[in-house]
Amino acid sequence: MSFSRRNFLIATGMVAAAAPVLSACGSSDSGSGSSSQDKVPTVSGSKTQTIPVGTKADSTGPAPEVKGAVKGGTVYSLDQFDMDHMDPAQIYVATEGAITVPILRGLTGYKIDEKGGCTLVGDAATDAGTMKDGGKTWSFTMKDGLKWEDGSDITMDDVRHSFERLFASFVTEGPRYVQQWLVGGGKYKGPYDGKHLASIEIDGNTVIFRLSEARADFNFTLAMRGYSLVPKKHDTKEKYDKRPYSCGPYKIASRQVGKAMTYVRNEHWDPKTDSIRNAYPDKYVFQFGFQALASTDRYIADKGNDRYAMSIFNEVAPERIQQVLTNAKLKQRVLTEVDTVTYYWPINTTRIKDVKVRQAINYAWPLQQLQTIRGGAATSEVATTIFSPVTPGYTRFDLYDKTKKPGGDPVKAKALLKQAGKSGQKLVIAYQQSDNSVKQAVAIKNALEAAGFTVVNQQLDKSTFYTQIGKIDNGYDLMAAGWSPDWPGGYSVFYPCWDGHNIGNGRSNYAQLNDTGVNKAIEAASTIADTQAANKAWGAVDRQIMELAACVPDYHSIRNWMHGSKVGNVVYDSGNTCIALCKLYAMS
Amino acid sequence: MLRFLVRRVSGAVVILLIISAVTFWLFYAIPRDPALMSCGKNCTPEALAQIRHNLGIDKPIPVQYWDWLVGIFAGREYSGYGFCHAPCLGYSFANREPVYGTIMDRLPLTLSLAFGSALVFLVLGIGAGMLAALKQGRFLDKLASSLSLIGSSLQIYFVGYIAMFLLVAKLGVLDQPSYTPLTQNPVSWASGMLLPCLTLAIIFTANYTRMTRSQLVEQLSEDYVRTARAKGLSRANVFFRFAWRGAMGPIVTVFGIDLGTLFGGAIITETTFSMQGIGRLAVDSVDKSDLPMLLGVTLLSAGAIVFLNVLVDAVYALIDPRIRLA
Repeated sequence: MSFSRRNFLIATGMVAAAAPVLSACGSSDSGSGSSSQDKVPTVSGSKTQTIPVGTKADSTGPAPEVKGAVKGGTVYSLDQFDMDHMDPAQIYVATEGAITVPILRGLTGYKIDEKGGCTLVGDAATDAGTMKDGGKTWSFTMKDGLKWEDGSDITMDDVRHSFERLFASFVTEGPRYVQQWLVGGGKYKGPYDGKHLASIEIDGNTVIFRLSEARADFNFTLAMRGYSLVPKKHDTKEKYDKRPYSCGPYKIASRQVGKAMTYVRNEHWDPKTDSIRNAYPDKYVFQFGFQALASTDRYIADKGNDRYAMSIFNEVAPERIQQVLTNAKLKQRVLTEVDTVTYYWPINTTRIKDVKVRQAINYAWPLQQLQTIRGGAATSEVATTIFSPVTPGYTRFDLYDKTKKPGGDPVKAKALLKQAGKSGQKLVIAYQQSDNSVKQAVAIKNALEAAGFTVVNQQLDKSTFYTQIGKIDNGYDLMAAGWSPDWPGGYSVFYPCWDGHNIGNGRSNYAQLNDTGVNKAIEAASTIADTQAANKAWGAVDRQIMELAACVPDYHSIRNWMHGSKVGNVVYDSGNTCIALCKLYAMS
Repeated sequence: MLRFLVRRVSGAVVILLIISAVTFWLFYAIPRDPALMSCGKNCTPEALAQIRHNLGIDKPIPVQYWDWLVGIFAGREYSGYGFCHAPCLGYSFANREPVYGTIMDRLPLTLSLAFGSALVFLVLGIGAGMLAALKQGRFLDKLASSLSLIGSSLQIYFVGYIAMFLLVAKLGVLDQPSYTPLTQNPVSWASGMLLPCLTLAIIFTANYTRMTRSQLVEQLSEDYVRTARAKGLSRANVFFRFAWRGAMGPIVTVFGIDLGTLFGGAIITETTFSMQGIGRLAVDSVDKSDLPMLLGVTLLSAGAIVFLNVLVDAVYALIDPRIRLA
């Protein structure tokens, strides 16, 4: 998934917030990426994570009890940013997905087990769905006893409405997969003029989706928070973004945008209907406006309510990472996880047409210097591929000798430029405003100019960054970006960002790569039903794109979250790549 | 006095109108499209046009300004977003809520910070300045002058950070800075605001010490003070009835401006202590290019300074009979 303005700011500020689905699941007490290990975890050293599809029994509530957990108390958060969106239709960012887990429910979701693994299960649905016609028809049967926060039943009309409203003109930020795949979706304008979409059928307690292409992973797609349920009766359209209606264990009691938000218990939620969520604290108080350094210092001090605090956005500040990770006591309160995201710099292939020039950029790129600016190996691993090593399908390769020469190879880059007859090639590089990105831009400029390029750095406004780089005629040669899969596998990485059919204003193919070979390979890989074979094909697509040097892979993220000493069971929500809110408890 | 106040308040309203018009024009003339920022990644031209219409920014700037002014007194409708009740200072596309509500939510913290620190720096600053003036040239004078020099050269982010580390994290003698409404829990309010108020006050205390001292020293050497002494008035009488009153005029003037500035947000203090007042709101609005919110905050800050200036003029006239009201 792409990163919102805010997430990119965090990313460039070292603390990367990422996207849904997979990654190493673990807890602060155990697990592959755990802080209890003395060794600094590496992305490439972590296991590839697959998410199995659970059974009906797995989908049946209540969620397994957390050992030693107690009910009651308040869990606080110390974070820099509030959420841009809370209307599920507008949610595409991991942190927004994570913070809304306690209030929003979709047809499917990810169940986190005590070992830190996760399984795709039915959330509001009785199971993870039934596929027909090779994936062109999907049906989901709703659980009994599901209620909204006012005590009214979740109806099948609500279910249909939740998907139909995704087509409304005010929905501009959420995922677009379902809208693209549903038959007739191209012309449908939403339910507000009283028209229904024929490809969403209701049969008793079952909703049936008819897709225009076979999607064997449709149930994974529906686990994205962007496909959560919305009550038809309480749908306030644009205004719904500010105050969504709850069907989870908590509901919004108060919200001051940019400052604070409080969840209290939703007394109409029945734990028997929910196999995903535990609901131990009585209350969650989210507090915004804390820089990473401020929150880290407060976690280190561990006083008062901060003992019951954790963060969704804020990771350990780069200034404190060594102090925290080298102090055994403090390290106990750090959750370290490798991430599925890869940060990279798409090269605009319509402006830099010569592959040798693009390869020269890759050779010259100062990966090591950039890693140091981000806080060193404890927070990231240099990347040579678009796929993250923890994503199924990852194939290891290093086409531009970045492992041997992570600081860049200006000699080779210069030679390639000369061969291409482009010595002194001008490069316009776009990045978002932030302290770290300015430092990184300077390092990049120095490295590229040492290789014979002429570099113009352009710092762009955070709030419109993706709009600006998403324009076809944007005038930039390289742009800072990042992506992680929305569900296991390569489709949600390669189709949105590298398929030639996905070029256009507002689209995510920032490199504007339109290579027939790549397009065909993406199409072929997306139709392979066998997971192993499909993963292999996606790995090959990754290599194919890198042979064209359509981007400069920058880094895979390692994330470190700190928390107070009285927060229990701090585990990773691999579905949202954040701390799992619904598994926490406040120690008595 | 009434005529004086009416005249000054009328003048203040005109000034505010001019400030709002200029600020409005400046903000909306710059090449940033609030609708585009609000529209999102998958924005279509139709959606963009709809947002422009909903926010009323598809009209000429003078019409937009007039609508904005009318909204302050009568409220206004933002189609799709609802009715913004008077006083409507605009609608924040970034926060998706009326500007006025957000400002009112953040204002109590800023007022607490402003009044809390003002209380400290007025008492300490004027007290120390008086002491220094009375003990001119002696040890206490030198001590107060030296401390004020050190104080005025310190920075809030430095003092705040050190104070938090020592007093909160290490020694635990003060609570983590936080804001609890005064009406909800006065004890929590006081304990949470103590450190930010004290830190902010340190910088101001130093300035007021120096200013009070210099004003008093000057007044104490005036002819009318010497005359009062010659008439046999007591030292305290001469000091407080004559010299002190004379010295307070400029101090009140500066205090009015300082307090007005603090109402507009103590940006560094709020940032240092991770507090969400008007200052942080302004910074966040700049960060998000939230022009309606910035306009609201700017008007509040300007309004506070203009209003306090009127108040200062009135107080000035009361303190110093030489000032004519008419």
